[in-house]
Amino acid sequence: MKSSILRAGVALACALGLAACGGGSGDLLLQGTINNGVTVDGRLAALTKEGLVLTNNGGDDLTIPAGATSFQFKRAVSTDDEFNIQVKATPSNVKECTITNGKARANYYTIAQVSITCYVKTHTFEIQIAGLTTNGLVVVNGTDRQDVPAKATSLKMNDVYEDGAYGVTVLQQPSGQTCSVENGSGTMGSTDTGNNKVVVRCS
Amino acid sequence: MKFSFARGALALTALLTLASCGGGKATFPINVSVSGVSYDGLVLTTNGQDLPIHYTGDPKSPATINAVFPNGIEYGEIYTVVPKSETSSDGKTVTVSYPKHQTCSPASGYPIGLPITGTAGQLAKIQINYVCAINAYPLTGTVKGLLGTGLTLANGSTVAPVAVAPDVDATTKAPTGKDVALVMSSVTFNTTYGVTVLTQPTNPTQTCVVTGGANGTGAGTMDQAAEDATVKGVNNLVVTCS
Repeated sequence: MKSSILRAGVALACALGLAACGGGSGDLLLQGTINNGVTVDGRLAALTKEGLVLTNNGGDDLTIPAGATSFQFKRAVSTDDEFNIQVKATPSNVKECTITNGKARANYYTIAQVSITCYVKTHTFEIQIAGLTTNGLVVVNGTDRQDVPAKATSLKMNDVYEDGAYGVTVLQQPSGQTCSVENGSGTMGSTDTGNNKVVVRCS
Repeated sequence: MKFSFARGALALTALLTLASCGGGKATFPINVSVSGVSYDGLVLTTNGQDLPIHYTGDPKSPATINAVFPNGIEYGEIYTVVPKSETSSDGKTVTVSYPKHQTCSPASGYPIGLPITGTAGQLAKIQINYVCAINAYPLTGTVKGLLGTGLTLANGSTVAPVAVAPDVDATTKAPTGKDVALVMSSVTFNTTYGVTVLTQPTNPTQTCVVTGGANGTGAGTMDQAAEDATVKGVNNLVVTCS
């Protein structure tokens, strides 16, 4: 009788000991997708630069390279372990990253339901207008169409994504004047002001 | 005697109750919801009935329109709700009644992606969902005289720039300067485009100039004329490199 209690006790101790180890020696690899493209609400999601670092339960840092469309943590987790994926650092041109289904108890289903969306920063895009005296000038940056009133000296266009291209051109000349665009194309910098050298010069 | 009367009354009540359940044949209304409607002209059809989806509001603020087919269908009838289409008498062209400048397709994804076909009674409620999007038309042209590499063309900021490589001789791999096709991203109806050179070619250094489009300098609006063109869209861009 006594020995059987002892045996049970040993077995229990073993079980507890194994359970304690369980955390890091599971066989579920935590993974997910990284969204790219224009989201439903019209914002651009992209990972064009390095710098995204993810953590699981505050550790296990995972650096994501530029252009990645998926990720997988190196350390496996066990069934029923809680995981909590968070963003530790974002690339310099990303405003924010949001994580969907990043917190759950691990099983074959939940470990593959994680997705991350990193929204690219936008910046104010204001260009210069010189010598304009009349009405009728229409300037476009692709689908962004702006009417320019007479005597304007600057024009605020729609915001442009950081590191994204812009190409300003005259859609319609003002009455009696001819305008040409200087430095019309370029790549948006990382600031809200002084980020372009576009001049629409009219004479 | 009293007993049997009560039994009779009970039987009658039961009969009446049952009759009230099964009396009329069940009919199923066909409910429709169409989102993203910017223009008038969509007609949906099923089981010999037409349902026009009217919209006369501002095209810039698309609407979700809910409607029900004039007549319900009976249990067991099969329905397939599709935009109405008519084939011309010679059988060569099919005209589909979409909203003007738009194309509609069955909604997809949870929770609105329901089947557009089924049997009445299969589901508790017949609900058909369509989503409409404004058409986009091609923006294409030709790059002439390109010898260098690294030419990229932008159409504003909304879509990624397009890189164009020179035509090269199959054996010598030397650039030939022959015309190269230019395909920009399609442009949504009634929006503007303006094609500019983002980076000029190098090795050898060349300067490329964009002409064509509606205004002659690579810009314009994807308008009615572009939609009505034999080859839809704007296809006259010319980028000349020298």
